[in-house]
Amino acid sequence: MRELAGRLAALDPDAGAAVQVIAYFDGLSQARAGLEAIVRGAAVLAGCPARLVDPRRRVRVRVTATGHRDDAGPPPDPAWPRTAVEPDGDAALWLERPGPAGTVEAIVLERAATAARDVLDRTRGRAPAHDPALVELLCDASAPEDARLQAAHRLGLPAAGAVRAVAVEGGHPMIAAGSAPPATGGRRAGVGPAVAVRDLPSSWRAARTALRLTASGTDQDPGPRVVHADEMGGLAVLAESVGPGTPPSPDVAALERAASAAPWILVTLDAVATATSLRAAAAALTLHHSTLQERLAHAERLLGWNVRSPHGKLRLQLALVLRRLHRAPGP
Amino acid sequence: MTTAQEPAPVGPPPPFDPELSAALGVIREQIARLSTLESIPEVRQARIDATPPVTDDDLRLDGAFEVEERAVPGPPGAPDVPLLICRPVGAEAPYPAIYNIHGGGMILGDHRTGLPETLLPWAKELGAAVVSVDYRLAPEHPHPAPVEDCYAGLVWTHEHAAELGVDPERIIVAGASAGGGLAAGVALMARDRGGPPLLAQMLLCPMLDDRNDSPSVRQMEGLDVWDRTANHVGWTALLGDARGGPDVSPYAAPARVTDLSGLPPAFIDVGSAETFRDEDVAYAVRIWQAGGRAELHVWPGGFHGFDGFAPHAPISREAREARLRWLRRILNS
Repeated sequence: MRELAGRLAALDPDAGAAVQVIAYFDGLSQARAGLEAIVRGAAVLAGCPARLVDPRRRVRVRVTATGHRDDAGPPPDPAWPRTAVEPDGDAALWLERPGPAGTVEAIVLERAATAARDVLDRTRGRAPAHDPALVELLCDASAPEDARLQAAHRLGLPAAGAVRAVAVEGGHPMIAAGSAPPATGGRRAGVGPAVAVRDLPSSWRAARTALRLTASGTDQDPGPRVVHADEMGGLAVLAESVGPGTPPSPDVAALERAASAAPWILVTLDAVATATSLRAAAAALTLHHSTLQERLAHAERLLGWNVRSPHGKLRLQLALVLRRLHRAPGP
Repeated sequence: MTTAQEPAPVGPPPPFDPELSAALGVIREQIARLSTLESIPEVRQARIDATPPVTDDDLRLDGAFEVEERAVPGPPGAPDVPLLICRPVGAEAPYPAIYNIHGGGMILGDHRTGLPETLLPWAKELGAAVVSVDYRLAPEHPHPAPVEDCYAGLVWTHEHAAELGVDPERIIVAGASAGGGLAAGVALMARDRGGPPLLAQMLLCPMLDDRNDSPSVRQMEGLDVWDRTANHVGWTALLGDARGGPDVSPYAAPARVTDLSGLPPAFIDVGSAETFRDEDVAYAVRIWQAGGRAELHVWPGGFHGFDGFAPHAPISREAREARLRWLRRILNS
């Protein structure tokens, strides 16, 4: 960025340079750049080393004026310009040069700190909500709100930020940052909608419903291993009223009969139900198009309806979803 | 069969590297866009205003090089060609030489541009000389003037190698962007005319194909710093109405060559998010298919000339290190 920095230096510090500094850090945030890129931006634009230290999260990133990562360096000098990354935290960003910050440096510090705060929130801050008892309390609609908010505070969750409850098969409730996809470790999971901390019980309820719509993803239980409550739509209504105790509808019974006739039936029907076209379904199954046509004709005879018409496809989708709901633990 | 061939559909542009993307957001506001042939004078002036002139002192690199300007005979019937000759101080002759052809879309730049940032520091480390050619620019001087000037300068350098302290067997042609295209063209001419034996050709994001219609050209339209519009203007300046037609010389547009055998080893690099991606990758592939030697680097999320605009970004540093490593390997082999 020598060229960029040179251009910035040549500009009137009160006018053009500020706009460019802002544009640079906005660009980093939009591209979801990491902490090192942000600290590098500060160092290169200010023309001196920059460092970010967050003792609580054990983060230390230092970059030299030429853009090289170098976490060593002298202890912070009180004379260096510094800005707090969070108003009430001890994370801070420094420019390693003496004296008060000039106009442009102040903007560099401020914009870099804002960008760094977003990254810290996204990647390190809010995820490690691990104490299972506290998390359970957070998701418990019967617990008083102030007890839940206290639990959130102890877990380091921001009262204002967006979070999601995640229900994993056979596991404790999990909390994930609202903006990042949750790490479910490959397990079947229902992901609740992003909500404020106080509304986690509703996110948890939706996450459990979503979990009931997941499948193991095997040939005998095809379907998604992770379902997002945000995308359930009207299936949520279905899920609330159907469970293992509900008598199976004739279409589900037909599906089970067909499934016992040939091992490929369910996975083939699931592919046809979820793919955008028969060609896409054939590709997903790595079958020749004409083989798929033959198999479908066979499956349709067993089921008793045409699964390729729009109505027949909806009927098939519903039968597959109902089958999952019958197999899942009750609501 | 339909009469007009539909271009194959392309996906969305590959994402830029995050740090390059941020730098591009700033740069884009500052670079004059090449939109028409008529905009060339304005773009040239903007370039002059934005880049301080490179002085002899800058080129000496704290006494590492002895710097000399020479005017050497040009192509038959054409004016002399200015060469900038930077000889390594203290290196034992004969030393290798990098024959540099500057970039600038065939219409911009001179033989000093950018040398102190990359090529001279590498030459210093390698104990090599740098000879840089100030070829005539289009559209005032259309093809074949630029590439013939480059070739004439190369021939002179080879013939006067002893006088310059240069090892005539160890001359590498190098260039970026339009300079990369011209370097590739010069390598083809040297092969076809039985000219100077080249040790290698270093083609950095080279401008190779006047047809300007590859998937990457279409994907990056309006996004890359050198995009389809600028490329159209550059090639039209060089080739006039012949651009994109059936009669374009491979010395102007090396992508047009049918035979890529018998060339010196090539280094080719390019960004995955740039206009020239597909023509540059294709050139490397075709060299291999012809049984030749090429090293290809495609830097993910790089736009055209990313390492020059954002040298601080890790991907830029890696790209530059890869070039130096290759030069070292070629010179030590």
